[in-house]
Amino acid sequence: MKKLLLAGTALLAMTSITNARDITIAQSSDLRSANPGVNRDGNTDGVILHIVEGLVGYNNSGEVKPLLAKSFETSADGLTYTFKLRTDVKFHNGKTMTAEDVVWNWTRYLKPETKWTCLNDFAKGGAAPVTDVKAADASTVAITLEKPSAVFLGLMSRPECGYTGMISPDSVAADGSFVKPIGTGPFQWDEWKKGEYIHLKKFADYVSPENDGKPDGMVGSKRPLADGIKFMIIPDASTVKAGLESGVLDTAEISPDLIPEFKASDKTQLIVSRNNGKNLFYIQTRDKVLSNPGVRRAMAMALDLDELVAAASNGTGEANGSMVSQDSVYFDEAQKTRLPYDIEAAKKELADAGYKGEPISIIANKRGNVPSFPAAVMAQAMMQQAGLNVQIEVLDYATQVDRRRSGNYQVISQSVAPRLDPALMYSFYVGNKDKNASLMWDDPKAVELMNAAYAEADQEKRQKIFDEFHELMLKEMPGIFLYDMVDVWGATKKLKGQPVWQSNARLWEVSVED
Amino acid sequence: MLAEWKAAFNRGETMLRFILSRLLMALPTIVLVSITVFALIRFIPGDPAALMLGDMAQPDQIAAMRTELGLDKSMPQQFAIWAGNVLQGDFGRSIVNDEEVLPLVVSRFMVSAEIVVIAVLLASLIAVPAGVIAAWRQNSATDLALVGTATVLLSIPTFWLGLLLLLLFGLKLGWLPVLGYVSIGDNVVGGLLYLVLPVMTLVIHEAGVLIRMARASTLEVLRLDYITHARAKGLSESAVLWRHAFKNAFGPTWTMIGLILGNLLGGIAVIETVFTIPGLGRLMVDSIFARDYPVIQGCLLFVSLSYVLVNLVVDLLYPLFDPRVVAE
Repeated sequence: MKKLLLAGTALLAMTSITNARDITIAQSSDLRSANPGVNRDGNTDGVILHIVEGLVGYNNSGEVKPLLAKSFETSADGLTYTFKLRTDVKFHNGKTMTAEDVVWNWTRYLKPETKWTCLNDFAKGGAAPVTDVKAADASTVAITLEKPSAVFLGLMSRPECGYTGMISPDSVAADGSFVKPIGTGPFQWDEWKKGEYIHLKKFADYVSPENDGKPDGMVGSKRPLADGIKFMIIPDASTVKAGLESGVLDTAEISPDLIPEFKASDKTQLIVSRNNGKNLFYIQTRDKVLSNPGVRRAMAMALDLDELVAAASNGTGEANGSMVSQDSVYFDEAQKTRLPYDIEAAKKELADAGYKGEPISIIANKRGNVPSFPAAVMAQAMMQQAGLNVQIEVLDYATQVDRRRSGNYQVISQSVAPRLDPALMYSFYVGNKDKNASLMWDDPKAVELMNAAYAEADQEKRQKIFDEFHELMLKEMPGIFLYDMVDVWGATKKLKGQPVWQSNARLWEVSVED
Repeated sequence: MLAEWKAAFNRGETMLRFILSRLLMALPTIVLVSITVFALIRFIPGDPAALMLGDMAQPDQIAAMRTELGLDKSMPQQFAIWAGNVLQGDFGRSIVNDEEVLPLVVSRFMVSAEIVVIAVLLASLIAVPAGVIAAWRQNSATDLALVGTATVLLSIPTFWLGLLLLLLFGLKLGWLPVLGYVSIGDNVVGGLLYLVLPVMTLVIHEAGVLIRMARASTLEVLRLDYITHARAKGLSESAVLWRHAFKNAFGPTWTMIGLILGNLLGGIAVIETVFTIPGLGRLMVDSIFARDYPVIQGCLLFVSLSYVLVNLVVDLLYPLFDPRVVAE
């Protein structure tokens, strides 16, 4: 029997679809669509990242750098961006990318029927309304905005926008329907077995922007070292673990409670990487009890943040009370300030605010890859010491989203996906609550500062805005920021390179030893 | 000769009438299931439009998406539109990935059915003789061993059993693939290898139920007078057991097999999740988390239909084992 099974396994290995030098990776859900920036989620962005590239992209510290563009410059009035294109870029169908292709792509993205996720940002009334895109010559494109915007390039580079990836016009059928993504990235579209896997193959003619072997966010060295990537759909964490231990999987996100096991294992390696996402307590500032900033500050001061973060992150996180991520160029000394852990001061604030033990409910979910529940449990215990009557309400994620969207909550233990520009991160929390009930903070000064950060391009001036914003936040405490998100991944010992960046798989400059 | 044909024709006509009446009787069940599922999934908090558009979406974008998906209409209106489309064979499209629901559900159902049918067949082949033997050797060491094993098997949760088998045969021994799925249609050997662990998990679990059922019904039959009479006639024990007791004892077990089959075809989500099989159960669970209304509705309608059909087939085959039961 054993021989028969072994023979079968060997035969299977020979006939298997996965090439020996493919990187096999697990992801928890299937692709939503192969159309960049249209019908997407985090897992979809991770696959698309390998296929398409934009004119620009983020580097590790959140700055926007040229990618398909060789360089770019902004006109004195801040309205026109001129991109000089690289001339060595080819689409996966072998055709050279030209300025006309860029114009075609932008025209397509800006058509409502494309259903581009980011259309609102670039359409009239958006943060960076585009009024004109034209090819000055075969390798120069000029994009004109209706008003100056400091976040135009940052928005273009966002995963949610499909990286504003350039695809060949051959990606679309004659009737305008999308066929498949023919991009310029280091890997090209190969096969999608729905519910099972997505397979990309190496783009042999790929010309990396750099060749020093050092990936830098979405830019830097981007050589495809593996023959292909197989993204397997595996929703169960235990199965992922078994897959990594058996070597069927090369790498995958793992449950943080497996950290000690992966550290100790001689078959696998642990990869811990901080990203710009945020873990926080999202507070409803219009709630009867929590509308008083004193109560909110007391909640923050009741938390031994370092202790809470160490427990909730299994020792991988570092406390950060700022909306600005620690890896951002804007994370300076001012951003490091936070309210002190002081139970007595918290009690005094509560007494001054007239708090009389009214219940405060923290909504949490038990998804394995976010610290929503453990953070809520720790906070509950700490806040109770200061006299706060805190309860935890566990909901499934869809219900949690619904409650936040409707504003029907007191506190939510929430994780927010990475946004590399702080102004873009602010937009998740700040704004008019009458228009958008999901927002956390509608303080007029905060809104004014956020708008200023959207418009101001000068780095020094932006820094001042962000610092002022942080100071105001500590005073008002509309939410309690805990720590920057941490990607906890496992991999076999054979995997070389860093397979994750900003919560997404990033498998260029990554190889598997045979 | 003519009389025989007439009798056969009458039997066929009766059978057809029985099938039609059973299908008609199933109609209210299916309608009720559809309405209940349609309403329940909408009562659960969670907006598919908000989930689909993600964190970046503004309220006006969500409202526009709700209009596009028809979610802004009243629930009765939505149901009327959906039911009307279903009657024309259009189950709608997935909110999550825009796939047509009916082909999606059918393709996933075939994957689950492949595993379930093989597993139930194997479980029956193992459990029914074991149950009969346990009854025959009532209160002996064999009986105790079989009943004890059956009780343990049916008490083990399938997800835990699946993980144990996966760790043992996949990880420790390396005999079988740990994860992934290959369709038998694409690769016979590969497909079969990938089926071993999920099928084994189901067989082990369901065999426990069937052993106990087969034993109980055989014991009941063995106590009847005609069995004593058969033994008094001097028939061998094996003849008494297999020729006289088994046929009558198998009826209730057959019904149980039908119920298990119908039940498992409705979803083996846990097994599919552990073994990364793209079957109907996993599709249903994923769709519930994503609030993908058309897919949830399509799945459950399909499941209720398959349940009705499986049990109809079981009832139609019942007279083969117990001639006392006829269509009339």
